[in-house]
Amino acid sequence: MPERHAPLLALEDVDLGHGDRVVLPRLSLTLNPGERVALLGPSGAGKSTLLAALRARLGDDVAWCPQHHGLVPGLAVYHNIYMGRLGKHSALANLWNLVRPLRGPWQEIAGLCERLGIDDLMRRPVGQLSGGQRQRTAIGRALYQRRRLFLGDEPVASVDPHQALHLLSLIDAQHDTCVIALHQRELALSHFDRVWGLRNGQLAIDAPATELSLDDLDALYPDAAATAASDTPEATSQPRPLPCYRGQA
Amino acid sequence: MTVTPPARPLWFTGDALGPRLARHTLTLVALALLLLPLADLSIITRDPWTELARMARGLAWPAWGAVESPFHALGLTISIALWGTLAGMVLGFPLALLFSKSRLVRASCAFLRAIHELFWALLFLQVFGLSALTALAALAIPYAGIFAKVYAEILEETPRAPGDALPPGVGRLVRFVYTELPLAWPRLAAYTRYRFECGLRASVLLGFVGLPTLGFQLETAFREGRYHEAGALLWLFYLLIASLPWWSHRRLLPVLAIGGAFLLGPWPSVDSALLWRFVSQDIWPQPLLAWDWPGLITWLTRIPDLAPAIGNTLLLGLLGTVGSLLVALVMWPLASRHFGNRVSRLAGSGLLVLLRSTPELMLAFIFLLLLGPSMLPAWLALALHNGALIAFLIARHADSLTPGMTHLPASGRLAYELLPRLYPSLLALLYYRAEVILRETAILGMLGVATLGYYIDENFQYLMFDVAFFLLLVTAAFNIAVDALSRRFRPKEAPLEVPGMDA
Repeated sequence: MPERHAPLLALEDVDLGHGDRVVLPRLSLTLNPGERVALLGPSGAGKSTLLAALRARLGDDVAWCPQHHGLVPGLAVYHNIYMGRLGKHSALANLWNLVRPLRGPWQEIAGLCERLGIDDLMRRPVGQLSGGQRQRTAIGRALYQRRRLFLGDEPVASVDPHQALHLLSLIDAQHDTCVIALHQRELALSHFDRVWGLRNGQLAIDAPATELSLDDLDALYPDAAATAASDTPEATSQPRPLPCYRGQA
Repeated sequence: MTVTPPARPLWFTGDALGPRLARHTLTLVALALLLLPLADLSIITRDPWTELARMARGLAWPAWGAVESPFHALGLTISIALWGTLAGMVLGFPLALLFSKSRLVRASCAFLRAIHELFWALLFLQVFGLSALTALAALAIPYAGIFAKVYAEILEETPRAPGDALPPGVGRLVRFVYTELPLAWPRLAAYTRYRFECGLRASVLLGFVGLPTLGFQLETAFREGRYHEAGALLWLFYLLIASLPWWSHRRLLPVLAIGGAFLLGPWPSVDSALLWRFVSQDIWPQPLLAWDWPGLITWLTRIPDLAPAIGNTLLLGLLGTVGSLLVALVMWPLASRHFGNRVSRLAGSGLLVLLRSTPELMLAFIFLLLLGPSMLPAWLALALHNGALIAFLIARHADSLTPGMTHLPASGRLAYELLPRLYPSLLALLYYRAEVILRETAILGMLGVATLGYYIDENFQYLMFDVAFFLLLVTAAFNIAVDALSRRFRPKEAPLEVPGMDA
């Protein structure tokens, strides 16, 4: 299906990194419209670097949800979400909005917060929220940008699996294409069309999710074999180790 | 086979942080000891103990009734501190935004900071007289320089992530108001609060140059030996500082500010021609204004020999810094939860708070009455005040640490567990303080210690504004140089996590 359209983005032998330091040398990949891509890999494999590069190249089409949320703790949930469309209003309107919320955005954001399950927190400073609530605020800010494409750096890392599914479906409903860095491998297989797996600065996996198994994904994590072996007896007696949600601690 | 311990002490060699800091400290102490004979440390009064006993009696039995209109003095003290800090904020904030971009702004702010509030007061006294305008300008101008620097540093340290997360096309102003400002707000507010407390102390000190704040009555009472009245005023001052958290509530401050504004009058009528003459002519040497170079050289030769004054200023600065280090080392365990019992800790913290909230000038003034005019009272005042301030912060830092070994004796806990962890911060705080110490060294001259400040005060009194202003510039240059030096030499490994230690 994706072959019908021109790719949104194609990288050919590109060096990606920060300044002079190359993190992902000679990377080649293609992002097709309509594709939901899960980005996997151990910490430090270059997931954030890749996402930042995609964001820089795709520019205005991108709704961006950064790692560790990038929220402003001193401002209310409403203002943090409003920041998704700061560029769309005049400076005067933006400043006045800090004094007194604008009616239009308030109603839009109230609807959004209701879907995210944080509608009773709109006036609360983000600094007083729990990790999961902040996560939802950050996703809310990305959704409020109303773009075609969603790029998320671990946007569902600190919520439970049930919540994660709900949030991902909200993201899907609004964006036809997304690239999301994850730690939950099963979610990558069940919810996404394609998986990109980074390891040691290489794109070790680039395949449709249907062609992959959890074992293939485990190979991305060098320590996974060791952890599985030292797991409890119940875990080893089963054909597969229990699903572990990395990054939730 | 026997293993002999190394003959040379370990701190003598080695590149680790510990030995380096130990060598650092010992060099500093050795330098101070070497130069100590040059300092005039004689005790001139015949019987300091009787005088001390009289003062202690005054403090123990304060004569509340003898204080003349205490509420007016208190109100004026608060009002000047509040409006002075506020004006400094208003002037300093825009400068903070330009701080990293403009070398000129940085240099001017360094100059504004380098001159003590009291010297600014002496300068403005000549134009605005004994009025609230003098007091406000004396606080607002150096504080603008301080706020500019500290605000700029705080804003620079805000996390970048929220700004990066913004969609493209957001203007600079909106970006600032939505990300940087709210991110920096808690630290900005905390620092401003701390500066207001400094402003209160400075406002009291302005009484020493004649403005009718609490310090004026305090100085008069002490000077005239009315110690019971002085005791009452001193207690009033401590109560004011101690009750700060209660009366400086965010909602109460506007009320205080508006109410206090009525105490500031009557405003002087500013003669703009006179002001302009002062700024454009009086404070500059006549030969310079006439472009008369040989005349300028004769003008310079007529200035009294500055070398001893500069030497005394630097020596007192060094002695004050080393003294603070020793005082801090001895006193911090008094207020730490790791040592002593509840009573000793309470007494220790009380002593530290008392020493830390009494301005140096006031301490020096009291010691001067006790010991007579030499460098000793100034040294004691600097060492005790700054040492107590550092000790207090280090004790709080120590309280946040949990020793790994719980059952060590107190000496072992001090030497093996706590001091190695605290010493880098202690030294860093000391270096931070060195600049403040030098700035205060200069104003202690106003009490008769022969530092640069002595000659500044003297020349202002003789209405030789050109010489006084020239000496002010010299003092500022030395402060800036010492600040740069201490920045260079202070250990980089200890980040300062204590808010408000900047100036």
